[in-house]
Amino acid sequence: MGFLVGALCIILFSVFLVQIGKARELASTVYNDKSEEYAINTFQAGFGMVFMIVFLLGCIASFVYYMPYILGWGPYTAASEHGPVVDRLFNVTLLITAIVFFITQFALFYFAWKYRGRKGSKGIYWAHNEKLEMVWMIVPSVVMTFLVIGGLQAWNQIMIDLPDDHKSVVLPSSENEHIEIEATGTQFLWILRYPGRDGKLGIRDFTKIDGGTNPLGQVWSDPNNIDDFHPDKIVLPVGKKVRVRITARDVLHNFYIRDFRVKMDAVPGMPTYFIFTPTVTTDSMRRRLKERPEWQVADKNDPNKQRWETFDYELACAELCGRGHYSMRRIVKIVSDEEYLAWIDAQEGGSLSAEGQVEGVKTQYFANIKGTAADVLASSEEMKNYEGIMAAKVKANAKIEAAAKDVSIMAQVQVPLKALRLATTAADAEKAFSEIDRITAGYSTVETPVMDTTAVADTTAVEIDTTAAPTPH
Amino acid sequence: MTAPRVRRIHPQKFALWVGIISMTMLFSAFTSAYIVRKSAGNWLSFPLPDAFFYSTGVILSSSILLHMAYKAFVKENYQLFRGLGIASSVLGIVFLILQYQGWIALNDIGVFLHTNQSSSFLGVMLLAHSFHLVGGLAALSIVLTYALRKKTLKLTPKRQLRMELVCTFWHFVDILWLYIIVFILIQQ
Amino acid sequence: MADISVTDQDLHHGEDHGDHGHDDHHGDKYQSSFIDRYLFSMDHKTIAKQFLMTGMFWAVIGAGMSIIFRLQLGFPDADLSWLQPLLGGWIDINPSTGVGSLNPDFYYALVTMHGTIIVFFVLTAGLSGTFSNLLIPLQIGARDMASPMLNMFSYWFFFLSGVVMFASLFLNTGPFSGGWTAYPPLSELPQASDGSKAGMTLWLLSLVLFVVSVLLGGINYITTILNMRTKGMSMFRMPLTIWAFLVTAIIGLLSFPVIASGFFMVLFDRALGTSFFLNEIYVAGEALTERVGGSAILFQHLFWFLGHPEVYIIILPAMGIVSEVLSVHSRKPIFGYKAMVFSILAIAVLSFLVWAHHMFMTGMNPFVANIFVLFTLIIAVPSAVKVFNWIATIWGGNLRFNTPLLFAIGFVSLFISGGLTGLFLGNAAIDIQQHDTYFVVAHFHVVMGVAAFFGMFAGVYHWFPRMFGRFMNETLGKIHFWGTLIGAYAIFGPMHYLGMAGVPRRYYSFDTFSAFADFDMMNKFMTIAAIVVFLIQILFLINFFYSIYKGKKQTTMNPWEATTLEWTAPINAGHGNWPGAIPHVHRWPYDLSRYEDRDFVPQTEPLAEGEIDGGH
Repeated sequence: MGFLVGALCIILFSVFLVQIGKARELASTVYNDKSEEYAINTFQAGFGMVFMIVFLLGCIASFVYYMPYILGWGPYTAASEHGPVVDRLFNVTLLITAIVFFITQFALFYFAWKYRGRKGSKGIYWAHNEKLEMVWMIVPSVVMTFLVIGGLQAWNQIMIDLPDDHKSVVLPSSENEHIEIEATGTQFLWILRYPGRDGKLGIRDFTKIDGGTNPLGQVWSDPNNIDDFHPDKIVLPVGKKVRVRITARDVLHNFYIRDFRVKMDAVPGMPTYFIFTPTVTTDSMRRRLKERPEWQVADKNDPNKQRWETFDYELACAELCGRGHYSMRRIVKIVSDEEYLAWIDAQEGGSLSAEGQVEGVKTQYFANIKGTAADVLASSEEMKNYEGIMAAKVKANAKIEAAAKDVSIMAQVQVPLKALRLATTAADAEKAFSEIDRITAGYSTVETPVMDTTAVADTTAVEIDTTAAPTPH
Repeated sequence: MTAPRVRRIHPQKFALWVGIISMTMLFSAFTSAYIVRKSAGNWLSFPLPDAFFYSTGVILSSSILLHMAYKAFVKENYQLFRGLGIASSVLGIVFLILQYQGWIALNDIGVFLHTNQSSSFLGVMLLAHSFHLVGGLAALSIVLTYALRKKTLKLTPKRQLRMELVCTFWHFVDILWLYIIVFILIQQ
Repeated sequence: MADISVTDQDLHHGEDHGDHGHDDHHGDKYQSSFIDRYLFSMDHKTIAKQFLMTGMFWAVIGAGMSIIFRLQLGFPDADLSWLQPLLGGWIDINPSTGVGSLNPDFYYALVTMHGTIIVFFVLTAGLSGTFSNLLIPLQIGARDMASPMLNMFSYWFFFLSGVVMFASLFLNTGPFSGGWTAYPPLSELPQASDGSKAGMTLWLLSLVLFVVSVLLGGINYITTILNMRTKGMSMFRMPLTIWAFLVTAIIGLLSFPVIASGFFMVLFDRALGTSFFLNEIYVAGEALTERVGGSAILFQHLFWFLGHPEVYIIILPAMGIVSEVLSVHSRKPIFGYKAMVFSILAIAVLSFLVWAHHMFMTGMNPFVANIFVLFTLIIAVPSAVKVFNWIATIWGGNLRFNTPLLFAIGFVSLFISGGLTGLFLGNAAIDIQQHDTYFVVAHFHVVMGVAAFFGMFAGVYHWFPRMFGRFMNETLGKIHFWGTLIGAYAIFGPMHYLGMAGVPRRYYSFDTFSAFADFDMMNKFMTIAAIVVFLIQILFLINFFYSIYKGKKQTTMNPWEATTLEWTAPINAGHGNWPGAIPHVHRWPYDLSRYEDRDFVPQTEPLAEGEIDGGH
C-alpha cells in the first residue's frame, strides 16, 4: 500500500517537474534574449559556488564527525608494530591530497563563477603556456616521488619475509625467534592451527583431508604434528614477532585483522605469509575504548556489559569466497606471556584420570589419531618424548591445583611452571616438575600418573621417573 | 598547412591488420602465461607427435597454393584459380585432421589435456589456433563459392580486394601456427 | 566560406558505382525497409543510437540491482517480502518471524551482475560504442566507418551478449555470483557456489561475445580515424574526442584479447578438466586430487591486464567528451591541446604497466610490487595535467551554463575527488589496509560510476541535436545535473569513511563483527541517497525520450557555435552525412574567441593570408 502511494507521489512529482521544464522552455523561446541567458549563468554559477562551499565544509565536518572511527585516529591507532607506519603513510597522503583537493575544487567552481557569460564578456584565446604547464607537471611528479619513496620503504620493510635461520618457537626469547601459526580459510570459517610447544607446524597434504578427523590433511607421520592443535581463537603474547602462514582449502580467502593492519590473500595450494608484532593487549585496548562515549553504551548482545568490556580484536575474511564470506569471524586475543602460555597449556590439555593415567590431551593427534590404525608414530622417539613431557606436565598441574590456595606457593611456582610450559624435551619437563614438586611439597595429589599406552602395540611403557614423588600424606 | 594524407593502404586491409594485431595479443597472452607457468616447475615434457610436423608442411603448402591462386585470379586464369583455391581449402581441412590425429597420438602416449599444465597449455593453443583457422576456411569458402558460380567469376577490384584480404588472413593463420610450433619446440 | 572540393573523398576512385566501397546503394533506397534502417542498420549514426539505447536499458537494470542490494545493506532488519513478486525465491522468508530478507547468494549475484553490467555494458559499450560511432565519421569528415557491416556486427554481438547475460538472471541456480572479477577457484567450482553453476557458463559466454563486439568496433574506429580523414584533417587537427576514441580503441584492441585468453582457460577448467587456475582444492567434502598444478593468481594477472586498461577505456572517452564540451561552452580553446594529446598517449602506455596494483595482497614478490607502485603513481601525473588543463580552459572563458557544461564541470570535480583517492590505493603499503575495503569501492565509484557517467551525460545533452535534430529540455537537464551531483557525493562521500574504518567490501551484512557494526546510520543514509539518485535518473529518461519527439527543434546547423565538422552536416543528416562533397579542413578545432570580430572560426574555413594555424 505504502509502496503504491510512494510510487504515485514519485510519478506525480516527475510530471510536475516535466511541466515546469516545458513551461520554461516555452518561455525562453518566446523571450529569446541574451539577458535571460546571463541570468541563468549567474544563477547556475552561483549555485555552483554555494555547492562548492557546502561541499568543502561538508568534507571537513564529516571528517571531524567520523574521526572516532577512522583507523589511525580516535582510539584506533594500530595495535601492531608496523601498523603506525601504514597509518602515517595514509595520513601524509591524506594531507597532501586534501590540499590538492581543496585548491582544485575551489579553483574549478570559482573560475566557473568568475568567467560565467555576462554582458560584454568575451573569452580569452589562451591555448597554452609552457612555463605553467612545466610547473604543474613537475610539482605533482616531485610530490609523487616522495610518496613513492616513503611508501616503498614501508612496503619492503613490512612485506619482507624472515631469513631462513629465523626459528619458530612457542615463545620467542631472542631477536632470532618468532611464533608461527597457521590460518586456513574454508567456506565459511577459519581453521586455525598452532604448532604446539615444539613451535613447528607439521606437514600437510590436501589429499589426506578428511572433514571430520583431519580437516587440514595433516600428515601424521610428521612428528611436528603431534602437538599441533586447532583452537577456535587466536591468542598471542604481546610484543612478540608472529609469522602467520595463510592458506585456503577451497577458494580464495583473505586473512584480515583490522586493528593490526594485517591483510593477506589465502590461496589454495600457495601458502602466503604475514609477519607482524602485536603491541597492544586486548585489555589495554579495552581500557582505551572505555574513555570513548560511543563505547560506553550497553553491548547489543549482553545488556549487562558495556561495549568496551566485550571488545575483541577480530579476524575477518577480505576476499569474496561465496555466500558466507561476511561471517568468517574468529576472535584474536593479545595477552601477556603468562596468559598466553597458560592458554597453550589449556589448549594442549591433559589431565590425570582417577587411575592416575594421562588422558584428555587435546592436540589433533591425540584426540583423533592416537591408538588408531593411522597412528604411525606410536613408538617413535618424538612420541616418547612428548608423552614424557605430558606426564610431567599433568603431574605438575595436579600438584599446582592442589596447592592453589597458598598464594606464596603460587608465586614461587611461576618460574618452573613457565619452564615446564616451554619445555620441549621430557628431561626439561621432568626437571621443571621436580622443582614444582619440591615447592608444593606437603600438598596431596593422586598417584604417579602413567601415559595411557593400552592401545599401543608396543607395550614397553614409557619410563616415568617416580623417585621424586613425595609420599602422600 | 595541409596534412599529408597518404592512402597507401586500403582501409579494409588496414582493418584486417588491426584485427590481426588483436588476435596476436590473444596468443601472446597464452605464450606469456606458458612461460611463466613453466618456470614454476612441475612441468611435464613430452615429444610432439609427427602429425604436427606434417600439418606444418600442409599449412605452408596451403598458403603457397593460395598465393598462387591469387596470382592466377589477378591474371584472370580462372580455371587455375579455382583449382588452386579448392586445393588450398582442402589442405586447410587436412591440417585440421592432422591436428586432431596429433592430439590422439598424444593421448596414446598418455598425454591428455588434463595430464599436466604443459599439455593443457598446448591444448588450449591448438584449439584457439584451429578456431581461427576455421574462420579462415569460412572466409575462403565464401570466396570460392563466388568463384565456382559462372556468373560471379570475374576479376573486379572489389573481388580482388576480398581475395587479398582472405589471403592475408590465411597467411596470418599459417604464420601463427609456425609461431606456435617453433615456440613449443624451443621451450622443450 | 568553407572550401568544398569537387571530388568526393571516397574509398575507391574511378570505380564503377555498382561496386561501391560500402554496400550497394540502390539509388536512394539504401536500407529503406524498417528492418534495414532501424534494426540492422549499417549507418554509424543509427548504430550509435542503438548502443546508446541498449546502454541506457542496461544502466537502469544495473542501477536497479544496486538499489536492491543497498536496501539489504541499509535496512538489514527490514522486511523485504514485498519484493517477492519480483524476486521470487531470492527473498528468504524467516519461517518464525515472517520477515523477508535478501538471500545471501542472490545478494552476491546482484553485486556481481551490477559490476559486470555497468562496467561492460554501460560504460564500455554504452559510452565508447555510442560516441565513437556517432562522432568519428562526422568529426573527421568521412561518410561512414571503414566497414559499416563490421560496425553493425559489433552492435549485434553486444546485443547478443546482453541477451545471454539477461537469460542468466532467470536460471534456477541463479546468475553468476563470484564478483565481476570472477576469480577462480570460486568461479570455476560449481560445488563452491550456486552462481558458479550454469550462471557462470552463461556469464562467460556473454563476455566472450562482448569481447568480439568490442574488438569489431575497435578495429573500425582505428581504421576509420587513421585512414579516412578528410583532406586537411591532420592528426593534430583532430578534436580531442577523436584522439580519445582512437587511443581507447587501441587500448581495447591490445587488452581485451588477454582477458579472452583467461576466459578460455576458465572454460577449459570448467568443462575439460584442466587446472590452469586450480591447485590443491578440497571442496564439498572432496579433495580434487586431479586438479593440481595451476595458479589462481595467473587468472588475476590475465584479468587485470585487461582490467586496468579497461578503466581507462571507460574514462578516456569521457575525458575527450569533456574537453570538447568545456571548450565549446567556455568559448575558448582547450588549454594545452598538445599536452592533452600526450597525456592521453602517456595514460594509454602506462595503463599497461600497472595492472598488478590490483594484486598487491596476493602474496606476490614484494619487489615486483615496487615496479607497479612506481608506474601507478607516475600515471597520476598525466591525469593531473589534464585536470589542470580543464580548469585552465575555464579560466578566462565566457561560460554558457547549459546542461552539457554543467555535466562537464561536474566531471572534473568528480575526477579530482576519485582520482585523488587512487593515490592512496596505488601506494602498496597503504593498500595493505585499504585493499578490499569500502575505500576501494568509494574510489572506483566516484571515478567510474559517477565521473564517467557525467562525461556520458555531457555528451548526450551536447550531441542530442546531432542525433535527433532536437534539444533536450534545459530545466529538466539542470535538475538532473544538480540532483545527481549532490546525490552522488552523498552516496559515495561517506563511503570513504567506511573504508577508512576498515569495513570490508562485498559483505552481505555487518552484524557478525563488532568492528564493522558501527555504521547503521551511514548505511541507511547511503541507501536513501542511492534511491533518490536513481529516481532522479527517471527525469533524464523522460527528458530523453520525450525530446526525441517533442523536444525543441534544432533550427540552425551549428546551434552550439562549435568549430568541429559534425556541425557542418545537415540537421538529421542521412546516410553519407554530407549531401554534397565532404568538407575539407584548414585549421585546428579550437579557434574560439581568437578574433575580436568573430566568436569562432569553424575548421572548414581556410586560413587567411598570413594566418598561422592554432596549436602550432
